[in-house]
Amino acid sequence: MLDAGRRKLVEVRDLKMYFPIYSGLLRRHTGDVKAVDGVSFDIFEGETLGLVGESGCGKSTVGRALLRLYELTGGSVVIDGDDVAKLSPEALRQKRPTMQMVFQDPQASLNPRMTLAGIIGEPLDEHTSLTAPEKLARIYQLMDQVGLNRNFANRYPHEFSGGQRQRIGIARALALNPKFIVCDEPIAALDVSIQAQVVNLLEELQDRLGLTYLFISHDLSMVRHIADRVAVMYLGQIAELSPRDELYAQPLHPYAIALLSAVPEPDPSREGARQRIILQGDVPSPANPPKGCNFSTRCPQVQAICHRLQPDLIEVAPLRFVACHFVQPQQAQPAGSTGGTEATEPTQQGVNA
Amino acid sequence: MKLKTALLGAAAAFAMAPAAFAERGADGQLNIIYWQAPSILNPYLSSGTKDVESASMVLEPLAGFNEKGEVIPRLVTEVPTVENGGVSADLTSITWKLTPGLLWSDGTPVTSADAVFTWQYCTHPEGGCAQAARYEGVTSVEAPDDLTIKVNFAAPKPNPYQAFVGATSPLLQAKQFAECLGAKAPECTAANFGPIGTGPFMVTEFKTNDTVQMVANPNYRDPAKPAFASVNFKGGGDAQAAARSVLETGEFDYAWNPQLAPEVLAGMEAAGKGKVFAAFGTLVERIEINMTDPDPALPEGMRSTAAHPHPILSDIRVRQALSMAIDRNLLVEVGYGSSGRATCNLVPAPELYASDNTGCLTQDIEGAKKLLEEAGWMPGADGIREKDGKKLKLLYQSSTNAVRQDFQALVKGWWNEIGIEVELKNVDASVFFGGDPGSPDTFQKFYADVEMYANNFDGTDPEPYLAQYTCEKAPKPESQWQGENINRFCDPAYDALVAELGKTGEMAKRGEIARQLNDMLTKDSFVVIPLVDRGRTSAASNTLGGVVMNAWDSELWNTSDWYRVK
Amino acid sequence: MLTFTIRRLLLAIPTLLFISLIIFLLLDMAPGSPMSQIPLTVPLEVRLKMIEALGANDPIFFRYINWLHKFFVIEPLHVFDGLFGTTFAGDSLRELSWQSRSPVADVIAQRIPQTLTVIGMSYLLGILIALPIGIYSAYRQYSWFDQLGTFISMIGFSVPTFFTGVLLIVVFSVKLHWFPSIYDTTLKVTDWASFGKQVKQMTMPVAVLGLYNAAQISRYMRSSMLENLTQDYVRTARAKGLSERVVVLKHVLRNSLIPVVTVIALGIPTIFGGAIITEQVFKVNGLGQLLITAIYANDLPMVQTLTFIFAVLIVLFNLVADILYGILDPRIRYD
Repeated sequence: MLDAGRRKLVEVRDLKMYFPIYSGLLRRHTGDVKAVDGVSFDIFEGETLGLVGESGCGKSTVGRALLRLYELTGGSVVIDGDDVAKLSPEALRQKRPTMQMVFQDPQASLNPRMTLAGIIGEPLDEHTSLTAPEKLARIYQLMDQVGLNRNFANRYPHEFSGGQRQRIGIARALALNPKFIVCDEPIAALDVSIQAQVVNLLEELQDRLGLTYLFISHDLSMVRHIADRVAVMYLGQIAELSPRDELYAQPLHPYAIALLSAVPEPDPSREGARQRIILQGDVPSPANPPKGCNFSTRCPQVQAICHRLQPDLIEVAPLRFVACHFVQPQQAQPAGSTGGTEATEPTQQGVNA
Repeated sequence: MKLKTALLGAAAAFAMAPAAFAERGADGQLNIIYWQAPSILNPYLSSGTKDVESASMVLEPLAGFNEKGEVIPRLVTEVPTVENGGVSADLTSITWKLTPGLLWSDGTPVTSADAVFTWQYCTHPEGGCAQAARYEGVTSVEAPDDLTIKVNFAAPKPNPYQAFVGATSPLLQAKQFAECLGAKAPECTAANFGPIGTGPFMVTEFKTNDTVQMVANPNYRDPAKPAFASVNFKGGGDAQAAARSVLETGEFDYAWNPQLAPEVLAGMEAAGKGKVFAAFGTLVERIEINMTDPDPALPEGMRSTAAHPHPILSDIRVRQALSMAIDRNLLVEVGYGSSGRATCNLVPAPELYASDNTGCLTQDIEGAKKLLEEAGWMPGADGIREKDGKKLKLLYQSSTNAVRQDFQALVKGWWNEIGIEVELKNVDASVFFGGDPGSPDTFQKFYADVEMYANNFDGTDPEPYLAQYTCEKAPKPESQWQGENINRFCDPAYDALVAELGKTGEMAKRGEIARQLNDMLTKDSFVVIPLVDRGRTSAASNTLGGVVMNAWDSELWNTSDWYRVK
Repeated sequence: MLTFTIRRLLLAIPTLLFISLIIFLLLDMAPGSPMSQIPLTVPLEVRLKMIEALGANDPIFFRYINWLHKFFVIEPLHVFDGLFGTTFAGDSLRELSWQSRSPVADVIAQRIPQTLTVIGMSYLLGILIALPIGIYSAYRQYSWFDQLGTFISMIGFSVPTFFTGVLLIVVFSVKLHWFPSIYDTTLKVTDWASFGKQVKQMTMPVAVLGLYNAAQISRYMRSSMLENLTQDYVRTARAKGLSERVVVLKHVLRNSLIPVVTVIALGIPTIFGGAIITEQVFKVNGLGQLLITAIYANDLPMVQTLTFIFAVLIVLFNLVADILYGILDPRIRYD
């Protein structure tokens, strides 16, 4: 199912996004909020990478930084051959059509004073030289694609329901035939009944248009549904990056284990056996992360080394990357047996020879 | 060297004699600023100084007053007197002879019919004429021929120079105002804003409460005058800005009444662009003593009436002590500088009527204390004098005005020094002088022990002014609190003397009686405590020649003689 | 929108009638008399006669009805006559000022041009300065430009116009002789020279009031921009690959202008109110000076008419602001 030889569309290396803190009378630069601190991953063409984590872990920042909606503090983001982090403003503008974003709050992310046609059509004005009828045709085509009635073209965002607005957001993102779309919690603000519709629409569009997604969400079940691989973030760093099934079946990083223990099982018999791990303490401030492993303050398996050294994200099994001193390639065992799940053979997984 | 001296001499000769070579309209524009803007140019509908004086450049009376207070002819050949037969021997009529050939600015002749009309205009019962007092006692005005005007009085009029004399009583053109009699008077906006006159200038544009534009009157009786071709008469702003525009920036030639602190004015004069002129008339800032009891405990209708004499101030020794404690020269220095003089008289001018009373000019705190002790007021424990368990305490009111509040503070200090407790109060001028019988704060109602304001009289004759202090003129509830005898002074001897003044025609005798009346109010009874004789001031540019300040008439009385100093 | 406008206009009628009654009663109860400025030398009988001639002693109810009749019937007829040369108004007595005895409406009409040129210009100038400053200050929040802009608007806010006005006069008129200290209301612009003079005499009053207006409006603009700059739709616009200019000027600015435009509309009646202090300082004898002199002189017909006109303008421009909001913001619907 995974093709290791497939082309990497997005390559992220050591991405850092710090937000400066100014304080005092003269507003001196006194520190940084390290929202994203050294994140690296790849996204293959046509796949969906899920990015999960608690609120405030930096997952949305990663999404925005990837499209350079922020000026990066460090690292590189190569998308389809160009390092987005280093493009000049004009070159970046030219690059925009290849990478798009679907936002969390469809109400706030649409300009309230523009009609639906205006919103969807604006990128076309900016990046294409279509004539007015061609443009209208394209707008109608996009509206059809996302399932919006053509009669709505001249309405304003506030006249739509949440689900419809998200469809507008998707149509707008699709307008310029992007290759890569960051979906930043696209369903978080929607009713549960609408969520499935939107996710299905995204999947359908991916099949039809060969899109690549970075799907950011805190809804682990939804990520399980849509993602091919999943990255778990904690405090600005990736704790584990694994193919979806392996991760859900057997998480390796202590944080991933704890996080996934919170996912309810659809099967009542297994749900009964599920043991929830409650982590102690609060998430440390990203302005002042702990020394060593950034999970060391809450980790159930914490050891002395964790307070001194920061573990690297290493491939402990084929396509499974974990950042923990106690999950090493030779054992590829979960850091502890607290999870109670039986270890499956790592060799069986992932590699499609 | 010789040539240079000769040239300088020639130049000096030219500079010295611009008036001699003057030609009408040769000196360009005259810029005048009044910080109170004229509202209307018909003095019969408004008696505001700004209105009367701006109109005086256009409208003229038959005769006016010069800077010495003497009557001078304007539209007549000479001033009628008993000696030249112009005033009848029994003082019941005066006959004026118009200068032949006089023209209105529209080119029509000035006739005696205009004077008859003017009298009718102002005495119309529905007109609400602001200058009706000028025509009081006039039974008729006759026009035996085109140039003769005969004014008949109901009773002998020792001072016949009222009607048609001075800027408040000018001649109107009968033709222009024919439709404006009585209730119609306010509707004639065009005439009220642009009266046709005989003065040196005529109105081209009038913007109410803003500006008046005038040009030289082509039909003015002196073909060489006025020297200025046009006048820009600007109104509005404040006294300081007006003074500044003449003395510092030189934008204006003449500013009316730069009523500023003496040191501010001196600082502006230092810029060297102009000077402040002062003239002294009859305006006296004074403290009036309430002879009746203003005690709030008294029922309404009884307070401040003759039925209840003042418990403290009915004693002349207390009143005298109040006067003695005041240092008038310091007040002048603080409040008025060169535009004020200390005075002990209610009638400080003209010379004929001014008493030589100077006794009050030296402050005498010790003497004041002694007087109070004689009167039985002994110092109490807290420094306040007491008598029969009653404290010597006075309420001292005035209108709201920076100088008056300074004066109040100073006087309070001196009175405190002699052991009198003083409570100060100031009332907004529009209420204080508003005369509303429903308000407790008018100066007529006098719900205070002493009050301070300024007053003067119109023209040069003090008779009506002194007659204000007769018994029956006291404000009282029955007269809706109207009346001029503010301090409710009542002395039959005084009333008798006023009556005698009304019957006396001989000037020397009139002067003697007037001085006596003045003394009865001031140094003999201390019912009125005069403080400062306030002059009129104006600022004029150094480039403006011919300005002669006049306290007896409009201060723009001689604009026909004004010229540009080159 | 139309029915909304009509409904609001109809509602305004009783409101304004009520306001006019309140103004009338307040003015009547205020102390002072039209005779207070008359010299004390004018005898009592003459004063009483004058008050009678003004009609100031009539019963209050009679005077109020009389005023209403003149304001709503006679004066409009006169205006109509003046425009079309008809004679509907005939000989009817107009509302006369007690000070000048001339029709109140004529005096007001005479003052409007002065006020509109000076005060209106300063408002316009204030807006023109304020918008770019507000936009750029918000876009570069906490930059030195923003700090400077904040400082200047603090000065504009907190230093009263009578101080800045007099300061400018002392510096530029008294010391440097660049500008006149007294505004010449009779100046007519006929050629370049007189135009230059007009510009010169308008410079200082316009600068003083402009600073004050700019200070206020730039603050509104800045905060409105700041609010919108952080909105999600701005991120969307950037993600669309729009140039920064388009993002700021099209997306952010247009949305930010909605509240600013209504604030500007609400401020327009204050132009007609004239700036009493600035007009006094520079001797621009406009509506503000007219009002203050009328108040000093207890000229009730003038004060009543002026304040009522201001009330009408305020009610009207409140409606205009509401309608503008409805037009500019598609989320607002009044029907």
